[in-house]
Amino acid sequence: MRTNSAIIILSLLLLGGCAASSPEPKGDSVVNVIKQECGNNDIHIKDIKGRKKSDGFMQVQVIGESNSDKYQRLEYRIVWFDKQGFVIDTILSNWTVVPAYAHQPFHVNVISPSVKAKTFRIYIRNEKEIICDQQQDGLE
Amino acid sequence: MRSTARWTGVGLITVGLLIGGCAPKTQNIDMHNDKEAEAVMGLDYRDFQTAAQEMIQSMITSGAVSKPGGGKYVLAVSNVVNDTMQHIDTDQLVKKMRVGLLKSGKVVVTTAVSAEGAEDKMAMKTRQELRGNEEFKQSTVAKKGQMIAPDLSLSGKIIQRNISIDRSTQQVEYYFQMTLTDINTGLATWEDEQVIGKRGSNKSVAW
Repeated sequence: MRTNSAIIILSLLLLGGCAASSPEPKGDSVVNVIKQECGNNDIHIKDIKGRKKSDGFMQVQVIGESNSDKYQRLEYRIVWFDKQGFVIDTILSNWTVVPAYAHQPFHVNVISPSVKAKTFRIYIRNEKEIICDQQQDGLE
Repeated sequence: MRSTARWTGVGLITVGLLIGGCAPKTQNIDMHNDKEAEAVMGLDYRDFQTAAQEMIQSMITSGAVSKPGGGKYVLAVSNVVNDTMQHIDTDQLVKKMRVGLLKSGKVVVTTAVSAEGAEDKMAMKTRQELRGNEEFKQSTVAKKGQMIAPDLSLSGKIIQRNISIDRSTQQVEYYFQMTLTDINTGLATWEDEQVIGKRGSNKSVAW
């Protein structure tokens, strides 16, 4: 990777599961909401939340906004972990493009690759600079 | 005479060195970070990866693979038609989807049933040929009525369209279309289409 190809990293670790003996939630439940906002002059990440769905999959939603006059090609990547903190190997953790149009909000909505996913870590990058580097462990 | 032969030899060696020096160096691709490589007009591994990734996401998000009341669906792979000008093995897409769905914990794939007969011929052959064969301990041979019939069937098509933009530029569009059918009802419970577009020189060949 080029040294000048900076990565925007937005890190988040959510605990979405209960103890092994706990039953699966009957309905969808919001497990965490990140209140810290971050970004740079162009890209502003406003909201990140994750939930455990009734079918056992986790879902992550990121809402950001572009303050730039130009279209930006962002990329995100989510690494999923099981309840013991081991990475779940999956094709769904590859970098994925998310378009950020000039002066418009953008959304990322991703489902976990497995019902074993209990936590996750999300990275967002563009090709120029780091706008956010944040990590959170556990439930708020 | 000897001088001519010597110069011919020197010339051949020089040409050989020049040709060898111009040839691109072979190197292994870093499959995890291959952004610097030029896109190609044909389909390459990155396109199949992207298409499979989007399809798995879409299928899981739709809830079509989440069995009401829990448990796992049994999936059979039907026909995925290659309607492009390229020699594609559609397993480049289907295998990635199968692996992703298997890892989801909601689906298991049967290799005993497919559109073209049993995918795993040996599994069927051992049943048919070993059953009743005195050379084999019959308690170790697969019993009748043990195979699980599929609940779902996965089918699809990959389509290619070539469009001439101007004298020097062409556009190639690839459509990945997939359908998940509930075998019991015959209804499609999930469908999606992913489009990958490429624009480049007319001199590039997309097959």
